[in-house]
Amino acid sequence: MVRYALRVLRGQPLRLVLTVGGVSLCVVLMFFLLAVYRGAAEGSVDYIRQNPADLWVLQKNASNILRGSSLVSSAQGELLSRLPGVRTVASVLFLLQTVRRGEEARTVFLAGYEPDKGLGGPPRLAAGRHVRSDDEIVLDRSFARKLGLGLGRELDLQGHRLVVVGISRGTNAFVIQYAFVTLRLARSLIGFPGLTTCFLLLLDEGADPVRLQETIRDRCPGLEVYDQATFLGNNVREMKSGFLPLLYTVAAIGVVVLTAILSLLLSVNILERRRDFAILKTLGSPARLLWGMVVHQALWMASASSLVALGIFFPLLRVVERISPEVSAKSSPCQVVGVILAVGLMSLLSALVSTRRLRRIYHWESLP
Amino acid sequence: MSASLRPEPIVRLDRATKVFRTGGPPTTAVNGVSFEAFPGEVLLLLGPSGSGKSTLLSLAAGLSRPTSGFVHLWGKRLDAFTPRELQRLRAEKVGLVFQTFWLVDALTVRENVEVVLRFRGCRRAERKARTRLLLEGMKVGHLADRFPPRLSQGEKQRVAVARAVANGAELLIADEPTGSLETSQGLDIIRLLHAQAKDRGSAVLVASHDLRLTEYADRTLHLVDGSVVRDENRAGSLLAGSLI
Repeated sequence: MVRYALRVLRGQPLRLVLTVGGVSLCVVLMFFLLAVYRGAAEGSVDYIRQNPADLWVLQKNASNILRGSSLVSSAQGELLSRLPGVRTVASVLFLLQTVRRGEEARTVFLAGYEPDKGLGGPPRLAAGRHVRSDDEIVLDRSFARKLGLGLGRELDLQGHRLVVVGISRGTNAFVIQYAFVTLRLARSLIGFPGLTTCFLLLLDEGADPVRLQETIRDRCPGLEVYDQATFLGNNVREMKSGFLPLLYTVAAIGVVVLTAILSLLLSVNILERRRDFAILKTLGSPARLLWGMVVHQALWMASASSLVALGIFFPLLRVVERISPEVSAKSSPCQVVGVILAVGLMSLLSALVSTRRLRRIYHWESLP
Repeated sequence: MSASLRPEPIVRLDRATKVFRTGGPPTTAVNGVSFEAFPGEVLLLLGPSGSGKSTLLSLAAGLSRPTSGFVHLWGKRLDAFTPRELQRLRAEKVGLVFQTFWLVDALTVRENVEVVLRFRGCRRAERKARTRLLLEGMKVGHLADRFPPRLSQGEKQRVAVARAVANGAELLIADEPTGSLETSQGLDIIRLLHAQAKDRGSAVLVASHDLRLTEYADRTLHLVDGSVVRDENRAGSLLAGSLI
């Protein structure tokens, strides 16, 4: 029956090409969405994941840095630093800022941090070094590529001429990219030198983080404190709540289109070959054998489309990243296998939809 | 064969009538026909086009049900079979040969025969071996890898016969098996069917308008307008009470 399926499909080459093309594009869409999602997910939270802080302290009711605002006084940092078990307190101020290079203006998610404390800076450097002075900046790799900025180049930030001294990785949150400057410069940009977004705490060895969290909540009622895992989870959840509905909607459209295309092709093939099915029914074919003929066609289509999609996807990804570097797409073997399995399932669903037509083929159609 | 030694009939029609209602006035294709087909017997349904031969065959094969009267297959009333039982019956005990062969064009000659063995659940090795033997027996072994559109009419019908007997059919039903063939090819096919009855003990029901086939039939039913007008045995004698 495998051969029968192949021959039926090959019997209409144009239809086969069009269907494989259509299904492949749906598969590419799914590959692409998942890759963009993974890239954005990693880029959004890598900053937190790679951060060595034991505790994150924010304004009360703020649970994340992606879609929440937190403003706390630097004086509270002083208070935190005096708590027993706290080794380091580092302030980080996050701002949405516009940087300019010539006529071009772009928005970045600016993180002002204290370089000497070793907390709050870029999670990974692709090139260069961390900032040391107020006239330096570290840019996200895709952002730098988009603006054509490399190490040693200059840009304008609210009238400040900054030199690019580092290029960071894992800092592309898809809709926006991180940039890193000194805390002092960031504070000067907003005009409130005593403000900060959050404090990153490193604890002494042997200090009990749970107890310290309780202490902070007791002594600083205007603050909220999270351990690293909880804070990471908060941000991942926030990122997903903003991104996943869109992803699911577009993926669902892709799945529906894919299933519809396959069902249509299989139904047409069944109707065109209804004489074959009628003969086989007359001769005593069990229903499962007839379904098998349709299922084989569906699986062949799914396999061919997945292969074509794989052939298209990776070169396409490179082209997209070249045209639009801020699109950070990351694909993994698990994603690819997952999508191919999903396509297989969709093809089985299409076969199931189409095999309903088999019930309306009667054995007497083969009789004279 | 004396009546006392005669085995149970494979097919028995008892005053079977088939009326088609397709929007217009009802058409009676078969009108109160009764007959029995025994193992090893060749039963010929002879009549002109439109006399109800094909409809009778479809009743005998369990492909359609009588409007009134009864059809018994292997001693069981047709309406007592479930659709699944009928499917299994056709897969395991019934062989069908059609005037226009009804081979599946997208399958090779070998696959056309093998497929009915799959219906019976035969294993791959057994299917292959049996198919090869059948095709060689029908003198079309050399055509095993060809597709039906590339065969002559005679070759197609030989393949169709091979397919029909592949499942060791106890009941072989052939509808105008010589209708699309030249004379010599047609006689070849009818001899094959005859041999199937005599050598394998199958009951063979043949519908035809070709008078020459009476030579190979143990019993011939002459049909006109859905009714049996004459029932004669091999010697040409009318069976008691058969003349309508």
